[in-house]
Amino acid sequence: MLSPERLALPDYEYLAQRHVLTYMEDAVCQLLENREDISQYGIARFFTEYFNSVCQGTHILFREFSFVQATPHNRVSFLRAFWRCFRTVGKNGDLLTMKEYHCLLQLLCPDFPLELTQKAARIVLMDDAMDCLMSFSDFLFAFQIQFYYSEFLDSVAAIYEDLLSGKNPNTVIVPTSSSGQHRQRPALGEAGMLEGVEASLFYQCLENLCDRHKYSCPPPALVKEALSNVQRLTFYGFLMALSKHHGINQALGALPDKGDLMHDPAMDEELERLLLPFFRLAQVPGLVNSITASPEASCLPSRTPPRVGSPWRPLHHSRKVDGESDGSTEETDESET
Amino acid sequence: MGIPPEREDVKQQVLYLSQITMKSHLLESPISKCPLYLACHHLKTERIQRDWERQGDAGSEGQKLTVCPIINGEDHLRLLNFQHNFITRIQNISNLQKLISLDLYDNQIEEISGLSTLRCLRVLLLGKNRIKKISNLENLKSLDVLDLHGNQITKIENINHLCELRVLNLARNFLSHVDNLNGLDSLTELNLRHNQITFVRDVDNLPCLQHLFLSFNNISSFDSVSCLADSSSLSDITFDGNPIAQESWYKHTVLQNMMQLRQLDMKRITEEERRMASVLAKKEEEKKRESHKQSLLKEKKRLTINNVARQWDLQQQRVANIATNEDRKDSDSAQDPCQIDGSTLSAFPEETGPLDSGLNNALQGLSVIDTYLVEVDGDTLSLYGSGALESLDRNWSVQTAGMITTVSFTFIEFDEIVHVLPKLKIKFPNSLHLKFKETNLVMLQQFNALAQLRRVDQLTIDPQGNPVVNFTLWKYYVLFRLSHFSMQKINGTEVTQNDMIMAERLFGILAHVASSELPQYRLISILGDARKKQFRYLLESKGKKPGIINEENNDSKRLVGENTNRATLNYTTRDFYNEKLEEIKEKKKFCKTYIEDLVKEATEINMKNEALQKLWPQMFIELVRDAVIEIRNKNSYMKLCLQQITDQK
Repeated sequence: MLSPERLALPDYEYLAQRHVLTYMEDAVCQLLENREDISQYGIARFFTEYFNSVCQGTHILFREFSFVQATPHNRVSFLRAFWRCFRTVGKNGDLLTMKEYHCLLQLLCPDFPLELTQKAARIVLMDDAMDCLMSFSDFLFAFQIQFYYSEFLDSVAAIYEDLLSGKNPNTVIVPTSSSGQHRQRPALGEAGMLEGVEASLFYQCLENLCDRHKYSCPPPALVKEALSNVQRLTFYGFLMALSKHHGINQALGALPDKGDLMHDPAMDEELERLLLPFFRLAQVPGLVNSITASPEASCLPSRTPPRVGSPWRPLHHSRKVDGESDGSTEETDESET
Repeated sequence: MGIPPEREDVKQQVLYLSQITMKSHLLESPISKCPLYLACHHLKTERIQRDWERQGDAGSEGQKLTVCPIINGEDHLRLLNFQHNFITRIQNISNLQKLISLDLYDNQIEEISGLSTLRCLRVLLLGKNRIKKISNLENLKSLDVLDLHGNQITKIENINHLCELRVLNLARNFLSHVDNLNGLDSLTELNLRHNQITFVRDVDNLPCLQHLFLSFNNISSFDSVSCLADSSSLSDITFDGNPIAQESWYKHTVLQNMMQLRQLDMKRITEEERRMASVLAKKEEEKKRESHKQSLLKEKKRLTINNVARQWDLQQQRVANIATNEDRKDSDSAQDPCQIDGSTLSAFPEETGPLDSGLNNALQGLSVIDTYLVEVDGDTLSLYGSGALESLDRNWSVQTAGMITTVSFTFIEFDEIVHVLPKLKIKFPNSLHLKFKETNLVMLQQFNALAQLRRVDQLTIDPQGNPVVNFTLWKYYVLFRLSHFSMQKINGTEVTQNDMIMAERLFGILAHVASSELPQYRLISILGDARKKQFRYLLESKGKKPGIINEENNDSKRLVGENTNRATLNYTTRDFYNEKLEEIKEKKKFCKTYIEDLVKEATEINMKNEALQKLWPQMFIELVRDAVIEIRNKNSYMKLCLQQITDQK
């Protein structure tokens, strides 16, 4: 934290880089908006709650899109919130259309743009029929890449177009300008027959891009890894590779690994509590054929009181949660796989 | 071949008759009823028979005439009878210029001809021949009786000059309609039995007509014989054997329209019958008027709904065009509404028959076709078109409003409906079933808006015009969000316990997150927003009365009573949302500048602090040095200090 490079930047830029100002502005704005309500219980408390929620990642809930995409941390929080809220949909096994996923996104962010969802869907469907059904995990990982790295992806798309048409974007900063020398194009026949662009050249351009720009990019090493075993690739192929790459997912830190996507013991616990009254009603014989093992419903171990606003811990700690109710989580796991 | 000269006496007896004009009922073979004629007839056959017998010829068939014989020296002849022969042409009688009666019944005559010199002719009997056309009667201006029954006549023509004709018999012909009767100023009896007549015209032009026989024809409605009502002379009419006589309304319709009648179908009309007829006719009129009104109303309703649908389509396409920015769509879509337009308007006149011409005129007179429709049908309130939403403001009687259990919205944007839901709650407290069709439900979020109602038992979302129904999870979301309603049915299917569990299972975590993980101030602000909105609508609708505040408190209490963990899931219509964002922009700008100022201040202070940090060692050294230099010489320092103290005083 107390690194010398921190002091190298002028003050304002330092604050901007860490997005401190974004949060400060937003906090003050919220304060202004809800002046009457907040003044009742104190401004200090408000600020405490606000920054607590920022830390926990709940600050983006039901906020407008411009805020949700303002900072990387916001984006990560949003992804995580989406995962937590709708993991159950994925667990149920339903395949949904792009429009329906967009609907779910809009439940959390009312003005989320359709464009982004469409782009994410294109990654999954490889730019094919847009009405196809997608699984929750496919969509979620693709969406993660699209949403978190959206600006990066826009530039990559431009680079790809340039490469396809034979121009060398290494010499240009903004892909639309055409200054700089052109490399010798490969034999025309060869280029025409093969799909996509050459992987290594592509990677070089990406590396330059990452160096130049200040918005977040995936770690270049991981990108290189993703491109390592292919000669040529298409744009959507590249994105698909990114979305499936575990390393990048972990580097982002928003979502668990694909294998663990459906597991969230804390939330499952909460869910069981919510379903309790329904199962009590269902004790009438013949009324319900149990979706989960109903005997368990009646002999639930005594629960710890609900954790309100459980702190958002880094992923590698998540499994250590709920040490005491290990028994029940194992059982629910069995019944749900 | 003619009658041989030696039969002259027979001929004389047969042909010679006194000057009598015939007056009789024209039935099948009318003349045979006249006693004098009968005598002659019998005389004829008897005498001829006797003479033929004398001659030794027994058979009568072979002795029939095939042509009209030439009759010489009988220029004063009055009556000529050629019945029951095989005569094919009327000829050789032009010299009998004093002839009054000519009887050619039962022959094989195909054409009326050869009569042009018989200017005195009064009775012409051409029944049971093969005549196809009425013609060549121009000079027979004194004709009194014309009998053409049993022929092949298809059209009434060329008789308009017969102004002395009293009896016309056209029974058993091939007539399909009756007209062209003008000029027959003396006609009192017209026999048209056993034809194929479907309609009758011109009878009101016959000033003396008393007896009209239309039995065994093809008349099926009174309209096709409507001219009879205008004939004041008509007193005796027959319709038996027509389809019209089978109708339930036959008798009283005829009686009611022909008050002048004395006899119908050969039966006298009694006073009782007449009275009954008038009563029944009045009832018919009433019924017709009622159904006329009903169909008018229904038509108007249908047109209105079509109009609303058309407007809705145009609106949707306009929105779609804006959204997709495709100009091509414009030309395609512009045609469709026109086609709908064309088809509704063109279908309409085709549907109306002659009786509905009044309906047609009335509707075309409507200068403004409404753009919305409000319909109350027992327990259902139906609203078509966004204009209909204003009708909720009307003063509904408590009884009517209390009976409404179902409210149906069609061709109205859901976002507009959202705004009137509070009104619905107040005005129609018993509405438990909501139906939505063509209301543009596209997001699951929109269902959140229904949570503010008191209670909904049943929900019907028609797939037409509501894309949200295509989502796999929509029903579960509805059940989840509106769980506090304990809905019974969605789109007609019962809600099972399993459905509720599944809904909770799918979205329960969302509710949990939405309630427990939101910071307190956000909970308050979101719930506060909802409450504020409701309050605003109440104020708008009722004006500021103290009573409202209590109601609002009750509402807020109820809101809290609602399953609070999902109460934060609200729906703000797009317009409102954008409005809100606009409002926030100002604040955001202010916040930005404020924070910038703060940052500036902070950085300045920080800079100063850093600068101080840098300079401080030097400053400190200088301070110390100065102090040391000062104290170097103890004595002079002491003197300096004392001096300073005295100076201060």
